[in-house]
Amino acid sequence: MKRAGRWASAAATLLASAAMLVGAITVHAQDDADSAAPSNPHKLPETDMGVGAMRHYLDIEAGVDATGAASLAHAAAARNPQAPDAIPIGSATCVACHSQENLQFSHTIHARALHSGALGSNADRTCESCHGPGSLHAASPTVAGSIIAFTHGSATPVETQTETCLGCHTGGARQHWIGSIHEARGLSCSDCHNPMAKMSPEGLLTKQSISETCAGCHRDVRAKFNRRSHMPLPEGQISCVDCHNPHGSITDPLLKTDTVNGTCYTCHAEKRGPLLFEHPPVRENCLNCHDPHGSNQQTLLVAPLPMLCQQCHTMTRHPNDLQTPAGFGTGSAPDERLMGRACISCHTNIHGSNNPSGAKFHK
Amino acid sequence: MTVNHALIALLGLGVGIACAPAYADSSDSARVADIQYGNGLDPSGFAALSDQADPVGMSWLHAGSLRSPSGIPYGFPALPPPEHEQGEWRYSGLLSAGVINLSGDDDAQLFRQYSDWGNGLVLGSLWFDAYRPDSGHYVDLRASHLSENDQFYRFRAGRYGRYKIEGFYRDMPHVVSTTAYPIWNGVGSDSLTLPEGLTPGASDPAAIAAAVSAAPRSTIRVDRTRTGLSVEGNVAKRWIGYAAVSNEERDGTRLWGGSMFFNYPFADNGGIVETVRPIDFTTTDLSVGARFVGDLWQFNAVYSGSFFRNHKDSLDFESPFILSPVTGTPAAGAVGHGQFSLEPDNDAHNLRLELSRRLPWNGQMSLTGAVGTMRQDETLLAPVTCEGSIGVSGTPFVADCADWNSSASLSQATADARIDTLLLDAKFSFRPSAKFGWRAELRHYGEDNKTDYLAYNPLTGEYGYISENGSQGSVVPGEMGIFDPNNPLYQSYFAHIRSTPYATDKTNFDLGGDWRVNWQNTLSLSFGFERREPEYRERSRVDESRATLAWVSRSIADGSLRVSYEFADRGGDSYDYFPYDAFYSTGIDGFVEEEGASPFTVSAMRKYDLSDRRQHKFRGIFIHPVGLTGTVSTILYGQYNDYSARIGRQGDRNIGLTMQWDYQPAPYFSMGVYAGAEVGELNIANVSDNEGVVSSDPDLGGDKYPLENVWKETSQTQDLNFGLNLVRDFGRTRVDAAYSFVYTRGEIAYDYASLGAIASNQQAYPGEFSAYPDTHYRVHSVDLGITRNFSQRFAARLFGRYEVGDFDDWHYLGFEDARLYDHRIYTDEGPSRHYEASLVGVMLQFKL
Repeated sequence: MKRAGRWASAAATLLASAAMLVGAITVHAQDDADSAAPSNPHKLPETDMGVGAMRHYLDIEAGVDATGAASLAHAAAARNPQAPDAIPIGSATCVACHSQENLQFSHTIHARALHSGALGSNADRTCESCHGPGSLHAASPTVAGSIIAFTHGSATPVETQTETCLGCHTGGARQHWIGSIHEARGLSCSDCHNPMAKMSPEGLLTKQSISETCAGCHRDVRAKFNRRSHMPLPEGQISCVDCHNPHGSITDPLLKTDTVNGTCYTCHAEKRGPLLFEHPPVRENCLNCHDPHGSNQQTLLVAPLPMLCQQCHTMTRHPNDLQTPAGFGTGSAPDERLMGRACISCHTNIHGSNNPSGAKFHK
Repeated sequence: MTVNHALIALLGLGVGIACAPAYADSSDSARVADIQYGNGLDPSGFAALSDQADPVGMSWLHAGSLRSPSGIPYGFPALPPPEHEQGEWRYSGLLSAGVINLSGDDDAQLFRQYSDWGNGLVLGSLWFDAYRPDSGHYVDLRASHLSENDQFYRFRAGRYGRYKIEGFYRDMPHVVSTTAYPIWNGVGSDSLTLPEGLTPGASDPAAIAAAVSAAPRSTIRVDRTRTGLSVEGNVAKRWIGYAAVSNEERDGTRLWGGSMFFNYPFADNGGIVETVRPIDFTTTDLSVGARFVGDLWQFNAVYSGSFFRNHKDSLDFESPFILSPVTGTPAAGAVGHGQFSLEPDNDAHNLRLELSRRLPWNGQMSLTGAVGTMRQDETLLAPVTCEGSIGVSGTPFVADCADWNSSASLSQATADARIDTLLLDAKFSFRPSAKFGWRAELRHYGEDNKTDYLAYNPLTGEYGYISENGSQGSVVPGEMGIFDPNNPLYQSYFAHIRSTPYATDKTNFDLGGDWRVNWQNTLSLSFGFERREPEYRERSRVDESRATLAWVSRSIADGSLRVSYEFADRGGDSYDYFPYDAFYSTGIDGFVEEEGASPFTVSAMRKYDLSDRRQHKFRGIFIHPVGLTGTVSTILYGQYNDYSARIGRQGDRNIGLTMQWDYQPAPYFSMGVYAGAEVGELNIANVSDNEGVVSSDPDLGGDKYPLENVWKETSQTQDLNFGLNLVRDFGRTRVDAAYSFVYTRGEIAYDYASLGAIASNQQAYPGEFSAYPDTHYRVHSVDLGITRNFSQRFAARLFGRYEVGDFDDWHYLGFEDARLYDHRIYTDEGPSRHYEASLVGVMLQFKL
């Protein structure tokens, strides 16, 4: 049954995919034929974090090749405030010295997109579109600041570095970069990304995966994922960026959705409800009871049961009793309030119940 | 094809048709998941592509690798795969396949929690990449297959800077338990029936014991199958359109509960059964949007829809235990059938608009507005499933099941539940000079919960519900769960009679600025204020003010230092320990207050999400380059919370230190070591009510909640992490090794004023009032691998993993020997107390 469901899903997806592909190809065929009115004169790289966002202080709109694709032939190089008098010299000059860099770079998505844009123009300014005009650097390679550099010890201010990247990659997922915690803490794009070499499957990251990249500064959070209960991040099934947008958002913890619960619902839609009888801390914030980064308790709980529940429940009778080891399965007075799933053994629908008799989550 | 699959196809077609002329996109900024593709053998999904370092490194011009601006080492790149030409296309690819073999305790849950590995053939990695330099068209395929439940296939195609299409299929496993012993027939279905020889509500204890002993071991697991399709592209000058649809099938089982009233106060009575519930979910997500990126303006509009369907709406189960009224008289009927409502189908819609504009003074304004709704209108189940009568014979407390076991006993047929949301956000940021910048943000998020369900039975004119499948009223006369203003028997019963539409409005204001002292040092100061206005909670207003001071420096030992300290103070309006009057029988005309009726709770309780709190947080990150080849990263962090609560959470704190050393002297050698430690503590206080006293006094220190019944409990945790990894190339041979160690320990200590604090059933065993035994979780894991590159295209990899783990958790004490405790049946033994498992494998790698 499950297999049938999977194949049905796959078939549905393929069918839809085919429809989209046909549509897209049709449109692009038309688009390619219409060289007089290209809809997109930009030939810049995509990323997984929001494609095609192009705030052009690169004046590339004038350069449109015969296929309708953008050309960087007429593009101005990135502005380098520290070398205002420098002029572009073309990538060929750069590669004369930086051949190994070019070798690695040529396997990146950056290179492909930029090289494609430059083909036919004989004026490939791939390097200078990020590093700024190279004439001063070529004349005096050791003069700091003569080109825009993105690495440790660079004389280029971080703001100039990020502005250069945002020159093409603004908007989309980075619409809230300005004012974000990472921007405020002085991070550069190249603290997480290495556009010069393919070190990761996607995103040109500094490490092999998103999670390891984040761990460069958040090793403590990464370590929590090694605890007993965790989401499948160490197993490579998810990453930090499944929930967080490191480029900024309008929530403090850089969540992709408007609320904590909204993020959780994206994988746990069954918890969304709403339900007839709700548990207020559940409705308000999943983090009241769960630590999504990992826990030493079952199901990511922030405290052992029944202690977790006894922080709030002092009703008469059973919730407010102090439990001792006598109540263990091996004790003299085994107690369901302590054993196994403890409180949840009876209040099973603790995330809320849709049963008319479920006010106390028994049903 | 099911209805849902048809829906997906239709959605896909619709998206395709609608978006193809306009290109589209995967809406990365809005949707979650399906960004990372890996598995337990290769979490990064990139190992096979980076198995041979480029001996030249990154440059002829300088030795060593470069670092990020903060000093994080980039590492040395791998040797790029061979690239070939076919017509206008260039392509490269890789296939890594082989066999793995497991041994030892390889079915331990902790060893295979999210990795569905077994013996046999596996596809480690399939990767194909092709592009046309002249046009920028590209195709990208990635795949992996460990098993039918642990695999992925992803296809991408497009044209750089123009459009992108992505489709994927993936299976992700989650093993919950491999030591489960459910006694029921029908596990995985929506009906659990007792095995032969057991009768619901009327089984012989010996027969129950025999059934529990005979229950076969089984695995509880959930498998997720996700498929998705997305497209994005330029639709007009500076306009990008995007759309995505994904579908998830979640199948399997999870451990669940089942209550037939308490057992602990009554020997040979009540019933608690750990059941197994089915998981049969389908969730379809859809997003469609467009964004504009101009020199001054940026705009984004996106609709997101999520449609959850549960193909099993309920779970019926049978309990074997006989219930006996405490009066000594017979029960009116055997109660042995229970029922759960499982999660209802629900729909969610969200429309979001974002507008940003560049402003003078290097400024930017961003305005965001979003409206959303979450809805479900599931057909409601009847309050009970019993037949005949329930209650206590010989008393007036007997209910006719026919009055409660049909939808006619409900005040409404469907849930008609709905929450609408509204988000408004305005953010301004300016940097008028290189020295100074400031930012401000005002945000409001509101919820309107429109759910309103009245637990009223038109057949009987009674309010409330039948508690715990009728078991409570069959053990304790009168505790049926019913309130009836016209019946003296039930006119004082404290019953929950109406749904409580919890909702919270939240308004935040933040103001911050930073001052660049010099080009290496920046100080930041920010203030935040948050007002929460929860509805129908103990507080209607919760205010929190927060100040954050941060220092970023690049002037210390060539490293980068980021330090921040936060102080927050939370308060609010008066705390009402019982704000729920309108939703209980006490709020209905005709309720007769019974003298000495127990209070709802102690008035001194302060729930920790609403209580006053003072918080201190700090975090420091120092990345220190050591010469050209080494890097030491240090993270120190901590948090201290003090809650002004006599009863409830009183405080919690944690502090941790993590250090990491990376050493990369040359492309052929790299290694790293990390170690971390964290300690945490949580303190709570509670008070047992004096059940022998008839009193309505809610105050701590009063008759009902005397001070001598107060108790305190502390949970302490210690976490240690250690890891080591190294990679060494010897010409064409690479050796890689990794070791990781995780150790966590949990302690619980408690203190109490008198025996009155302790659970009544345990008071007779003071010899067992010792501290809880520590919980432990300890795992050593070693990975070794040897890769031999026979040529630029052929390689073989021999690898292995050895893992040993220990686990102790007092929740499961005794379960390995017994899962039946009087009227309690436990299904799950818990994770293995000790396991040793190993994995060896060989992969053959072929590069095109």
